[in-house]
Amino acid sequence: MINHILIPDSGSITINGIEASPETQKMVGYMPEERGLYKKMKVGEQLMYLSQLKGLTAAEADKAIKYWLDRFQAADWYNKEINELSKGMSQKVQFIATIAHDPDIYIFDEPFSGLDPINSEMLKEIVIELRDKDKTILFSTHRMEQVEQMCDDICLFNNGKAVLKGDLREIKKKFGKNTINIEFQGDPGFLDDLDGVRINNRSANFAEIRVKDDQDMQSILKHAMQSTEIYKFERVEPSLTEIFISTVGEDNINPKELG
Amino acid sequence: MFDLRKLFIIIKREYLTRVRTKAFIITTILIPIGLLAVLAAPVLLQLMESDTAYEIVIKDETNQVYPRLAEIDSVRYVESQGRSIEELRTAITKKEIEGYIVITEEGITSGEEFELIYSGGGGISLVGDITDDIQSVIREVRLERAQASKEIMAILETRPNLKTRKLTAEGEEEESNTFVLFAFGYVMAFIIYAAIFGYGSYVMRSVVEEKTNRIVEIVVSSVKPFELLLGKVLGIGALGVTQFVIWVIAGAGIMAFIGPLAGMFIDPASLEAGQTAAEAFNIPDFSAIGIDVGIYFILFFLLGYLIYSAILAAVGSAVDSEADTQQLMIPVTIPVILAIVMLPKVATDPDSLFSVISSIIPFFSPILMIARIPITDVPFWEIGLSILLMIGTFLGCLALAAKIYKTGILMYGKKASFKEIAKWIRQ
Repeated sequence: MINHILIPDSGSITINGIEASPETQKMVGYMPEERGLYKKMKVGEQLMYLSQLKGLTAAEADKAIKYWLDRFQAADWYNKEINELSKGMSQKVQFIATIAHDPDIYIFDEPFSGLDPINSEMLKEIVIELRDKDKTILFSTHRMEQVEQMCDDICLFNNGKAVLKGDLREIKKKFGKNTINIEFQGDPGFLDDLDGVRINNRSANFAEIRVKDDQDMQSILKHAMQSTEIYKFERVEPSLTEIFISTVGEDNINPKELG
Repeated sequence: MFDLRKLFIIIKREYLTRVRTKAFIITTILIPIGLLAVLAAPVLLQLMESDTAYEIVIKDETNQVYPRLAEIDSVRYVESQGRSIEELRTAITKKEIEGYIVITEEGITSGEEFELIYSGGGGISLVGDITDDIQSVIREVRLERAQASKEIMAILETRPNLKTRKLTAEGEEEESNTFVLFAFGYVMAFIIYAAIFGYGSYVMRSVVEEKTNRIVEIVVSSVKPFELLLGKVLGIGALGVTQFVIWVIAGAGIMAFIGPLAGMFIDPASLEAGQTAAEAFNIPDFSAIGIDVGIYFILFFLLGYLIYSAILAAVGSAVDSEADTQQLMIPVTIPVILAIVMLPKVATDPDSLFSVISSIIPFFSPILMIARIPITDVPFWEIGLSILLMIGTFLGCLALAAKIYKTGILMYGKKASFKEIAKWIRQ
């Protein structure tokens, strides 16, 4: 509806004070989760087409496309068909198609899926750069660590309802320092004996323990010391993954979606 | 109502990405070549005729038949020179001769069949030629024996023909060739029929492809669905018109130059007085077909295409894959098939009330009206009315299609039923 693809049944949407309309479509860059490009068109022509539809003149579009292709070290793709590109490569083309017309508002739906770490990092850099230029970025993802790194405000949806929204720092503060990060050497079996906790991110010598019901954390430390050598014991704000699980509830979500 | 600049960008893309494809270039070139081949075939056939000599031995016991056959073709028909039947049979198996015929006195008097004993080669044209020759020679001999006068024989030889001349509005008589015009109308109707389906399903496939690619979501985040639909229909339509214009020009060129071209292959001395090279080669006379027919041809294709492609685009938007289009296409195919079913009736009896009415119905016009135009003098009001009706029908179909399309392109995962589509239209 922000994109003016669908019309609201009731109410209205305004973008910078303008009712959502063909006019505001130019102010938005939208990258859907399901990627879509013309498979048989050349990268350059395709980007020219999509940016011209967003209102750029041919000259402006050409300049922007060349700039971004260079930025992604992809200038030599200009005459390649999408068919010839790998998934990660066409992902970048899609990203350029979204940002080339320099909109004020960006909507990215899972922009990092299918990208290798290097490209993922490059994309993140650009997204942060856009944020620093005071652009508004709507970013949807299931990857909580990305949210923690990049977002100012969050809104958590469950079954179509916003169950948690607001400033990310405030939300974390609100959940309190009820989480323990523990690093240890020895038998991790003691973790299984703990009651009233939930353990995330468990590995051979690390665990993130979410303490429920105001339990005494010192007793957990004591218990751990009996069987292992403690390297680190830290009381922290919960990770976003933990916030996600405790808000949505483990029963309500598909475990696979946790990523 | 819509953004012309964006519409133009869409039309340009739809047109340019396709006009450069090999498939388009090949079909555009192949059709005129096919036409040329059809027209050039009689010329070439005539040039190639009788290049193989088949020797047929005539064992003539009456001595009256052979001289006449030799007059017709002295290479083909040779005397038996006293060879016996056995010897002739051996000659056939040794492939020295093609075959033999025994002419007996009895055969002539009774008028019964003669037998050609031959190797079985030469095909149907050889046997046909020999049959004709024997028939006419035997008849001549019998008539002579019956002492028929020269007058009677001349009467028997003539076969009065009916020549047709068309009286134009200006009071001039024109050569007319009803059969050629009939065939011409028929061929044009079929080309339009094939092109409407071809280009219409091109539009449909393209809609389905954009939908399954999800590119449509990106595009409609920049333009209205209606602009995309119209741009697509017009862009691909421009492609079709390009092709038709090339065909019409190539066709007109071929028809204008085939006569003179044929003249280069023929010895002027061999032509009968007043006969042109084209006539000698049996090339149909297209002079009655004016450029107006070519313009109507393009116009009726375009309007027919617009009507059907708008509907087919809506069909494409309502499904998830091409395989699902079958059922929804039925309402689209029925009128086209009906028009093809009515075509023979309309083409053979183009001025009947049935023909007039059916060719004005906009869903049939592109096929039936174009068939009538070269065959008969269609009054201008009929053509004008059918064009107006087609334009109106197109606008109606487009409005309807836009409603279906708008909802359809964003629906995934299921094939829409007719009931659901009706709901989208009412929205």
